[in-house]
Amino acid sequence: MPPLPTPRPPGFSRRTLLAASAAGLAVLATGCSSPPADEREQVTSAQADGLAAQVAVQQTLVDAFTAAGTADPALAAEVSVLADQAADQLRRLRAAAPGSTASAASSAGAPPAAPETRTWLRDQVAAAATSHAAACLDQSGARAALLGSIAAGLRGQEARLA
Amino acid sequence: MADDSEPGALDEGTENAALGEALAAEHAAVWGYGVVGAALGVEAQPAAVASETAHRDVRDQIVLLLASRDAEIVPAEGGYALPFPVLSAVDAAALAVVLEDGTAAAWVRVLDQAVERSTREFAVGALSAAEVRAVTWRSTAGQPTVTTAFPGLPES
Repeated sequence: MPPLPTPRPPGFSRRTLLAASAAGLAVLATGCSSPPADEREQVTSAQADGLAAQVAVQQTLVDAFTAAGTADPALAAEVSVLADQAADQLRRLRAAAPGSTASAASSAGAPPAAPETRTWLRDQVAAAATSHAAACLDQSGARAALLGSIAAGLRGQEARLA
Repeated sequence: MADDSEPGALDEGTENAALGEALAAEHAAVWGYGVVGAALGVEAQPAAVASETAHRDVRDQIVLLLASRDAEIVPAEGGYALPFPVLSAVDAAALAVVLEDGTAAAWVRVLDQAVERSTREFAVGALSAAEVRAVTWRSTAGQPTVTTAFPGLPES
């Protein structure tokens, strides 16, 4: 009997994904006119801008976790793993969009006091997930895979916070 | 099937190949939830049924899409080798996690290989739904961390 599908298909690594994204965007940033080694990873300026925008979205979410934790210390302890995951997602997005800057992030506003903080944070997570999923549609290759995966991860967080 | 070790331009062929892999994963998930349901208690049956139904729906959508393109439609296997014995409700929930993680990986692959915007929309929806179900099953299985930052992406 064949085995059940594995979560990690061979020959398709996160490192490959991120290296490919970075290489594609680096070509764009330097204005190199010769085609990249991997034609799949050619990226338009709109795609590069779109990915940079998602870095700002993720930065806003990371800031929201910090603000929520300040407003409700008990919640901070409960969601520390989620906050770490959001920060990890931000690092990956930055690595895939080397031209992005943190200054473009917008504020999510001040969270309400407990016990409303949790619902506020869940809404921030949901908004970021929706944004990444929408942005994924206009990307391709590794960038689409990364944004789609992050969007899905945040949907899982949203469910956890429900 | 596209060869990831020699990456080339994305086209409908790469997209259809990835969708075929997703179809195979969905076939396996439908089969696997039969095992999951058989080992779960009554209280967890609705979640197993809902998960199986969701995978059947996605499977059917892939079949329709590939058929509309006259692309190869991968049939279901008669059975699949379980990754571990399923002897308890906790084992069953852990198997459900494996099933959802397996389909998540297939859908990330579709995102990587797709050329059609509509296919990416389909894929990100299926991927997100798989991760939401996985969160529930990881909790049921008693796993220490129930969410994941990068569903479907390899660790290295």
